[in-house]
Amino acid sequence: MSGGAATAGLVADPRPRREDPRLLTGQGSYVADVRLPGMLEAAFVRSPLAHARIRAVDTDAARAAPGVIAVLTGADLSDVEPFPDLRERTRPVRQRALCIDRVRYVGAPLAVVVAEDRYLAEDAAELVDADLEELPVVADMDAALAPGAPLLYDDWPDDRIVATAPVDPELDAIFETHQVVRGTYRMQRHTAMPMETRGVVATVERGRLLVWTSTQVPHVVRTVIARTLGLPEHRIRVVAGDVGGGFGSKLHVYPEEVVIPALAWRLRRPVRWIEDRREHFLASSHARHQRHDLEAAVDERGDIVAVRGDLVCDVGSGEILPPGVAPAFVSAGSITGPYRFPRSQARLTCVVTNKTPSGAYRGFGTPEIVFALERLLERVARETGQDPVELRRRHLIRPEDLPYETPNGRRIDSGSHLEAFERAVAWAETTRERLAPTARGSIGVGYANYIEGVSPNYHATSGLWAQQETSTLRIEPDGTVVVASGLGPMGQGTETMLATLASQLLGVPHDQVEVRLGDTDLSPYGLGSFGSRSTVVAAGAVQLAAGRLLDKVRTIAGHLLEASATDIELVDGRARVVGSPDRSVGLAEVAHLAYFRTFDLPPGTEPGLEATGAYEQPGVDHRPNAQGKLNICLTYANSTHACVVDVDRATGVVRLLAHLAVHDAGLLLNPQVVDGQIMGGVAQGIGGALYEQLLHDADGQPLVTSFMDYLVPGAPEVPELTIDHLSTPSTTTPFGLKGAGEAGATGVPAAIANAVCDALRDTGIDITQTPITPSSIRAALRATPDPTTTEGS
Amino acid sequence: MNDLEPVDALDIELRVNGSAVRRRVPVRRLLSDLLRDDLSLTGTHVGCEHGVCGACTVLLDGQPIRSCLQLAVTADGCEVTTVEGITPADGSLSPLQAAFRDAHGLQCGFCTPGFLMTLVAADPAEHPTDGSIDALLSGNLCRCTGYQNIRTAVRRAWGRDDEGNASAGSDTPLGSGTSSGSGAS
Repeated sequence: MSGGAATAGLVADPRPRREDPRLLTGQGSYVADVRLPGMLEAAFVRSPLAHARIRAVDTDAARAAPGVIAVLTGADLSDVEPFPDLRERTRPVRQRALCIDRVRYVGAPLAVVVAEDRYLAEDAAELVDADLEELPVVADMDAALAPGAPLLYDDWPDDRIVATAPVDPELDAIFETHQVVRGTYRMQRHTAMPMETRGVVATVERGRLLVWTSTQVPHVVRTVIARTLGLPEHRIRVVAGDVGGGFGSKLHVYPEEVVIPALAWRLRRPVRWIEDRREHFLASSHARHQRHDLEAAVDERGDIVAVRGDLVCDVGSGEILPPGVAPAFVSAGSITGPYRFPRSQARLTCVVTNKTPSGAYRGFGTPEIVFALERLLERVARETGQDPVELRRRHLIRPEDLPYETPNGRRIDSGSHLEAFERAVAWAETTRERLAPTARGSIGVGYANYIEGVSPNYHATSGLWAQQETSTLRIEPDGTVVVASGLGPMGQGTETMLATLASQLLGVPHDQVEVRLGDTDLSPYGLGSFGSRSTVVAAGAVQLAAGRLLDKVRTIAGHLLEASATDIELVDGRARVVGSPDRSVGLAEVAHLAYFRTFDLPPGTEPGLEATGAYEQPGVDHRPNAQGKLNICLTYANSTHACVVDVDRATGVVRLLAHLAVHDAGLLLNPQVVDGQIMGGVAQGIGGALYEQLLHDADGQPLVTSFMDYLVPGAPEVPELTIDHLSTPSTTTPFGLKGAGEAGATGVPAAIANAVCDALRDTGIDITQTPITPSSIRAALRATPDPTTTEGS
Repeated sequence: MNDLEPVDALDIELRVNGSAVRRRVPVRRLLSDLLRDDLSLTGTHVGCEHGVCGACTVLLDGQPIRSCLQLAVTADGCEVTTVEGITPADGSLSPLQAAFRDAHGLQCGFCTPGFLMTLVAADPAEHPTDGSIDALLSGNLCRCTGYQNIRTAVRRAWGRDDEGNASAGSDTPLGSGTSSGSGAS
């Protein structure tokens, strides 16, 4: 479809993406592709110790090395302000772009070498001699919680960066008078691992800083550069070209995004730094490292009347902006999932340890709590003698419950929670029968139900930026349309999406629309792409801008056609009189008046054809209310995952035979793109469930720093996914849209764990942590009585 | 012997995408850096620098290799083909590239050139099943797509039917491994 009449609605437009031809032919423009005349290259010197005081950093030998232009330490950059600590109720870390007196994780930046090329910079980086005084290492969350633990921050009383302790005597009374089922569930440290590492190129152009960086949040990066370097924002331009994946890791602003601009500013020469993969393992955000003690109070009918949890998140050193505590708050706030548990409470403790700072990763705290809750439900079913499917069915939100407010204040406006689950159960029962186990294997089925917050309030995460998004629409003199947005795409097809919005909401052909993104000079201030928000907030902003621009087009076209402005509609790029399609003018003719023959404009009409719309989402809370409730997102998509696995009883190897995602994201603007988001999310979920982990030894030394050890799933590990779309529009969003960026990843660890336990149910195995490795299954089987040596199912 | 004296740089001659290239190259310079920084062929991407992810795959005399693990001087006298070299001269898409676009076989696009180079060197007859396609692709990592649409693109580019080669999970009540819902409301 191309264009069509501007209407109150949007329709699905399953076209191939406009980004693809350049990406398929090697014509994309990623940060590492930027090459400038006279460009220097930087290499960072990183801490080899997890915790140490910096006595001195000797750079003399490095400075004397061939091709070296400059070597800077933290002391040399002491005039650079610390990263701002913006979030309330989170202890300040005063993160430095280069460490000054203390290093708190292996990989922390100590110094930077700038040389004629990267080879020479890396040679010289080896010559930098850091005199470090080792300090006791806090290697894990238990060590951080122990009384008298060594402190990472000398002015803190302990290593807790966040501690919430809600008190609810009524809830405690419920747990004292009911049967209680409890479990402890752990998710391992793993992370986004985009195929493109990070990178920054900076230069000074006509007195302004020009910075290329691989980021999801170009404007936010600009603000942080301005605050740390003390420059006005208008003297900084941040450009994110094509970004090679982000998945949350690139919504953080990193030290190198300040250091490289500072170097370019001082040296007045272009400087490039491209993170290598080992650096990425050390210096880009980790994620998901949580432990949940969960309890359910069950009444005599087997109904769950309350859940409560004690959640601990290991955020690493904490030196990251926005702080890595935010996903753990989402875990705590999502403790009831899509289930009607009348009461809930979550105590949250986030601790700092001597490891790489953790932060955002697709799902943002939700996969962790879904894993814990769905495993707990299985245990409740077993300990109370119930069918786990029936237990879920009885507690899921039903259509008549909507809108439904969870005990934590999430306001779920719409969804198909029970229907999604029923469809998954029907699929799983059929699929289980169809699939045969391997010779030593047993087959099992697992489910996970969840909701995924869409378009979160970034204020709760960052402490500063809230939730607005802005788009500008301009009709050029030749009638083409330019839409500019502050979103920060990382491969999701955002350009195509924005063109589709502008095309449909204005009424112009798709190929008549050009999109400007990822450049702070070309786009209005926006908060970037994260939290499954891009399509939803862009639709809100483009809708406002298109309405304003259409009003003007109607006025001018009405004047040209001698008709009332209210009788003009824009269809396929032509303004025509409603009911008389013969009477029409093209957008170029309208623009000709607006820009050139301005003396022919209707009286009082301002020249030009441009409008801006800034969308602020309604009904989202910025801080908890007196009862601790917080509605953090604009809406909540729902999903059920089901999978069928084969578990080899001798080796413990899990094979995923079939996986279903029933997904309700409302209207799908580009169904093929939404499917792609779910497929990619599921693959990442498989990695987190079975393969990926970032291990450290007792000294905080990372044991996994390459793709040899960090097992990103390859094609053989990811089965064909079946996607079943339901389509319940939101009542709170523009056009009923819901986001779909994150949800694919969220249900996978829980569904696979449940399926593995189902396959081995005769053994009583109860998986409580990820990754579910062959050795962990063999260990669990050894630890449980084995009533049979034959295939279990 | 003089030949065994260490040298910092060597003169090399090779053909890149059909054009002759003569360069004096530091002996430790990687082929990926020669292609990207010296020849401005930035379609070859470097994802891990240790030969696992496959993003930097190019053809050396027709065989796929990791350009991040190959010293440029060892390509002396060879024919190198990059993603720019498999793109039709008029800037349109080859059938393989078009299949990736139509099947939504790419998202961020960073790994895509490596997949394309692996595939152009492959003989479809040696990969008759989905399982053998997966084995072929197992040396290339993609973090965005989950591989399913890449598999679809390969089937289509190789003249195979989506349904005919569909694997587990395909003949369920809910559809064929792709979207079964209406998508619109």
